[in-house]
Amino acid sequence: MTTRLGTLLLADARLPVGGHTYSAGLEPALADGLTVDRIPDYIAARLRTVGLTETAASVLAHRAAGGASGPDGLGIDAGALADVHDALLARSPSAPLRDISGLLGRGLVRLASRLWPEHPAVKALRNLDRSPQRPVALGVVAAVMGSSEDETARVALYDDAQTVASAALKLAPVDPVDAAGWVLGSEGVIAEVAAEALAVRDADDMPARTAPQIEGWSLEQQNRTRRIFVA
Amino acid sequence: MPEQQNTDTAAANTSEGRRAMRLGVAGPVGTGKSTLIATLCRELAEQISMAVVTNDIYTDEDARLLRAAGVLPVERIHAVETGACPHTAIRDDVTPNLLAVEDMEADFAPLDLVVVESGGDNLTATFSPALADAQIFCLDVAGGGDVARKGGPGIERADLLVVNKTDLAPHVGVDAERMVADATESRGGLPVLALSQQDDVSIKALASWVLQVLEDHRAGIHVPRDPGPMAPHTHADGTTHTHEDADHGHEHG
Repeated sequence: MTTRLGTLLLADARLPVGGHTYSAGLEPALADGLTVDRIPDYIAARLRTVGLTETAASVLAHRAAGGASGPDGLGIDAGALADVHDALLARSPSAPLRDISGLLGRGLVRLASRLWPEHPAVKALRNLDRSPQRPVALGVVAAVMGSSEDETARVALYDDAQTVASAALKLAPVDPVDAAGWVLGSEGVIAEVAAEALAVRDADDMPARTAPQIEGWSLEQQNRTRRIFVA
Repeated sequence: MPEQQNTDTAAANTSEGRRAMRLGVAGPVGTGKSTLIATLCRELAEQISMAVVTNDIYTDEDARLLRAAGVLPVERIHAVETGACPHTAIRDDVTPNLLAVEDMEADFAPLDLVVVESGGDNLTATFSPALADAQIFCLDVAGGGDVARKGGPGIERADLLVVNKTDLAPHVGVDAERMVADATESRGGLPVLALSQQDDVSIKALASWVLQVLEDHRAGIHVPRDPGPMAPHTHADGTTHTHEDADHGHEHG
């Protein structure tokens, strides 16, 4: 199957949606003493916890948006989309992380509203919340761009791993080639977690895996004045 | 047609009704951007409704300086993290700054002016017209008298070039008048302002310039200009050109 350009764009940090402000929790983790050699473990831990929960939300949002309908598609189920959003909020106990997710989600909404202002799924996303959680926005935008749900799951997980790896380059003495190796090394975990996320049937069935340590770090980061990343 | 696109972008950013004018302040670190903004707030905050978005690279120092200056209510000063990418934040992905500007406009409507302070970068960093309606590029005499001559998109084509801290010129061995003359020569008629905190006339001139641009913006006669990423430059064969013609691509070593 050919990969859609939209999927490649969603995986590209050059897509202007504000991703450069986010370290996926790595900055406070390093501040609390996480060592560089443990960063690959940190990536895997995220993928298996918040990564699974958020990716399941992206997959469900993708389905609620009518699947890979492309820019002219219909079939949006606004009720199902709202259910996914509520279910994700209920599984995101850290207030600062909900806020950041909303900010990143707003970046995607801004992009989608400019590119497809009249698309029913984009309208439903805008009606959901001024700052919808990023995984839900990602699922909708992926559907509008014509990505399959499998691609959507993989891009969500890849982006999480790559966000940590590229933030590491700004925060620690890391060889950029090693960071690329960490991302490639997460292939197996990403495949497993993507399969789990794709098997989720509906919002009631959504996993609620969280990472209490990452949530704790996010609260510390919120109160820090010397920081490079917002979270 | 880059110009046309930029106009469309600015129009698309316009919410219903009048939105605030967005003024970018860029320039290298330490040239006095925060102080310049504090000065603007002090001069203008009683006449117009203002807010400030800062882009500190590593701290919220700039936001704190402005808050401590007491020139604006603290809630009207917002720091945006840029992930150590100050250039990206004002040029190739302005999303976080735009969201902050829109929040300010919503929270303090009607707002006349939002100033966005760049985190401070090199001479090539300029604001995208998708973020700023007008921009000031700030140099200072302490950075060296030759900087204005070196040129760059901000120096040559920002709406206003400020040569700051002119009172320090004798102490750092720089001929401020020469520096302003060099800058003026490279700007083809665009304004240059020699600014000093010790010189009240220069401060009033800065405030008047901002008010004039605001008036033009409201009248619809101010068109956001893009200083662009690349300065006109000379090649070994003696030809000089700009890169406004997109078909004319070539490698820059």
